Amino acid sequence: MSNLLANELANGTAKRTLKASAFTAALASAALAATIGHAVAQTKTRVSIGVTETIASHNPYADSVSLMYAVFCQSYGCMFDRDYALGNFTSRIVDKWEVKDPTTWVFNLKKGVKRSNGEEVTSADILHSINRAKNDAQSRQKHNVRYIASAEAPDAYTVVMKTTEPLATLLDFLRQLIITSKAQHDTLGEKADREAPIGFGPYRIRQLSVDNFVALEKVVGHKEVKPENPDEVIFRIQKEAESRVTALLNGEIQIAQFIPPQLVGRVEAAKNVKLVWEGSTEIMFLAMSPKQKPWDKKEARQALAYAVDRDAIIKAILRGQAERLDGPIGPGQYAYDPNLEPKYTYNPKKARELLAKAGYPDGVEIDFYTPVARYIADKQIAEAMLPMLEASGFKVTLKTPEWGTLWSNVQKGGVPFYYMGRGTVIDPSAALSQYFETGGSPRIGYSNPEVDKLLQAERQEFNEPKRIELLRQAMALITDEAPAHFMWRHKLAWGIAQNVDYKPLATTDILAVDIKMIPRQRAK
Amino acid sequence: MIAYFIRRLAGTIPVILMISLLVFLLLHAAPGDPAEMLAGDQASEADILEARARWGLDQPVLVQYWRFLVNALSFDFGRSFRYDEPVMGLIAERFPASLELAVTATLLAIAIGVPLGVWAGSKPNSWVDHVGSIGGFFGISMPNFWLGIMLVLLLAGSLNILPSSGRHTFGVPDDPVTGFLLIDSIIGLNWESFKDAMIYLIMPAFVLGINMTGILMRVTRSSMLETLSEDFIMTARAKGLDERAVIWRHGFRNALILVITVVGLEFGALLSGSIIVETIFSWPGIGNLLLQGLTSRDYPLITGVVIVYTSLFVVVNLIVDLCYAAADPRIRLAK
Repeated sequence: MSNLLANELANGTAKRTLKASAFTAALASAALAATIGHAVAQTKTRVSIGVTETIASHNPYADSVSLMYAVFCQSYGCMFDRDYALGNFTSRIVDKWEVKDPTTWVFNLKKGVKRSNGEEVTSADILHSINRAKNDAQSRQKHNVRYIASAEAPDAYTVVMKTTEPLATLLDFLRQLIITSKAQHDTLGEKADREAPIGFGPYRIRQLSVDNFVALEKVVGHKEVKPENPDEVIFRIQKEAESRVTALLNGEIQIAQFIPPQLVGRVEAAKNVKLVWEGSTEIMFLAMSPKQKPWDKKEARQALAYAVDRDAIIKAILRGQAERLDGPIGPGQYAYDPNLEPKYTYNPKKARELLAKAGYPDGVEIDFYTPVARYIADKQIAEAMLPMLEASGFKVTLKTPEWGTLWSNVQKGGVPFYYMGRGTVIDPSAALSQYFETGGSPRIGYSNPEVDKLLQAERQEFNEPKRIELLRQAMALITDEAPAHFMWRHKLAWGIAQNVDYKPLATTDILAVDIKMIPRQRAK
Repeated sequence: MIAYFIRRLAGTIPVILMISLLVFLLLHAAPGDPAEMLAGDQASEADILEARARWGLDQPVLVQYWRFLVNALSFDFGRSFRYDEPVMGLIAERFPASLELAVTATLLAIAIGVPLGVWAGSKPNSWVDHVGSIGGFFGISMPNFWLGIMLVLLLAGSLNILPSSGRHTFGVPDDPVTGFLLIDSIIGLNWESFKDAMIYLIMPAFVLGINMTGILMRVTRSSMLETLSEDFIMTARAKGLDERAVIWRHGFRNALILVITVVGLEFGALLSGSIIVETIFSWPGIGNLLLQGLTSRDYPLITGVVIVYTSLFVVVNLIVDLCYAAADPRIRLAK
């Protein structure tokens, strides 16, 4: 009881309860006073985070959303991590790796890496994890191991992987390979995920309630944790932005993810919280399918690119909180080229000329599809684009289907022109292949042998400067051909309590070891 | 009585069959492919095809429906595409949260709406009647998504006296037994947990029940007005009976049939209509489950939830019929 009360007080939630009832307040004060010494000794720090994604299952391979990768990578542990700021790969379990030949990788594991129950991580666990990602009936992470043709374990600390083709980007795929215990799975079967979510990460899963919350607790003695890291971190699903912000302001949660533009003012005005902006690795774009008119003409696609005043939209609708993209990616993303051309600065006159050149001197009717409330201000952005497009000769009908319908049609390649985002683009190789390589997916339906050749070559190039150059050539060609017009990367607003020190990551992964409690005096 | 009960239950079978077929056909006619929705944006064509085959979506719709029906006979609605767990298990897990919310909303609506209706009906055109009527219209016309957000801003935000969302404070109810937090806390004599559950329950229950409160107030008022103008009421008054006894023992008892009907219908509607409230308050109930199912085109989950809703609605109406006999001994259930 005293421990619980101390927890509540430490997190500010008791404040609400106390206000609700004077009787409760008196009782709580008495209880606290009576047990203060004991409580102080046992007080646990807790940070609750209001998040917007879903928790679909106890099975770590059953979902492919950023939230759950982050949760499972800091509890079970992943094969690799990628430092977005530095651009390099690190690993808790891999000591060194070597590319024996273009399709053979050898990984040497660190000895003595133990899970929180004392069980050592071995190469058998890596093979088991690859197998689950690939063959588990519930797996939605097959894409992470798609290029692994086979994996062998010559000994307990060595893994040899054969890829289906020369693949320089293998580590980028293994970044999201969650390593689970073969021994636990052999003993408990399917129940292992629910009953023994044990890993080598700095936090362990204490409780997971599907579609509700996941609670992590600090692994005492883990070398990555520090005393100032919270003892418990609770990820609470709060999709409704008003509820999320209110919960932040009244102390129910200490970090609120993704504050929408209309609520930024409320958070800024509050004294007990701070607003932190961070860029994002999600690229937003307008896709134009060359399989449908008028987008079969390069000039029409370029006309659209010149017709949209992105800076005006960023200023007026996104309140300056986005970085314009001149090309598929921006600063910080792998192989970014600041000199990439063309830039497509707003030029309605040039847009009209290009549209006439494409064979539409009197303009052309187009359907424009946008999701609603999927991305920041998506519908408002689309509406703001209408007069710009009309001014350049496009006669636009705006379509706003429900997300399920739109996404399904996009996946089939049935949507001619749409606004969309592609998340977690650090190394753009996979995203470029998915959208612009022949056979990558039907989403845009673009096909260009030259782009295909460049993308295949960069994937197979192990010399990093050469690979970067190939990627840049591919991106320049795609930008010029304009099957998609790249718009911006949003800056995301996070609300953070004053007594918490946390710098959000551009990948939007939330790692508990990055969160620090600020002592009360300093927080003031 | 038993024969009536069995006949009514048997009568629900074709209703449920029709509804399941309708839901199944509508879902398959609606755009959106579950395999594409659930495989994620990085899935390959092969992954999507494999998911379709695994879930039997590559079979003709009628074959899929027949398989569903055969399994449903043993209360097996299949495995959810999204959660890869048995649909019945998922519903059973979430049902207590939704039922607890709907029952509390109904009790709140009865506790507020019925006395207000009786009061207004017994004093027509008085200030009580006017205030009550305005309150009733307010409840009926209030969109609960708007009221929910406003109350979150006021009670959780400005006044900071209630939590904004969720069902309990993490760690408080340690040993769930039935899944009904209030009942569990009473069983365990855990008053801390009881208070915690109540604090989280009160706002969503009020928002969910506000519409029903207004309807109950209006129905009770008009039913009371009608009953109090009957001859037997005049006789009761002429006999010098206390006015309170006239209103409650004679007036209200006779007005009760209509109130029971409305409570039954509205309770069924509350159970199945809590999607918006559960979303606003992040309430982990069936409404939220259904929403997740709809957004991912999880056919077994959606069909299972709809069948459960339909069955509940039928059962609630059956209970209402049984209550008629208890409320008015003149009513005998048909043989």
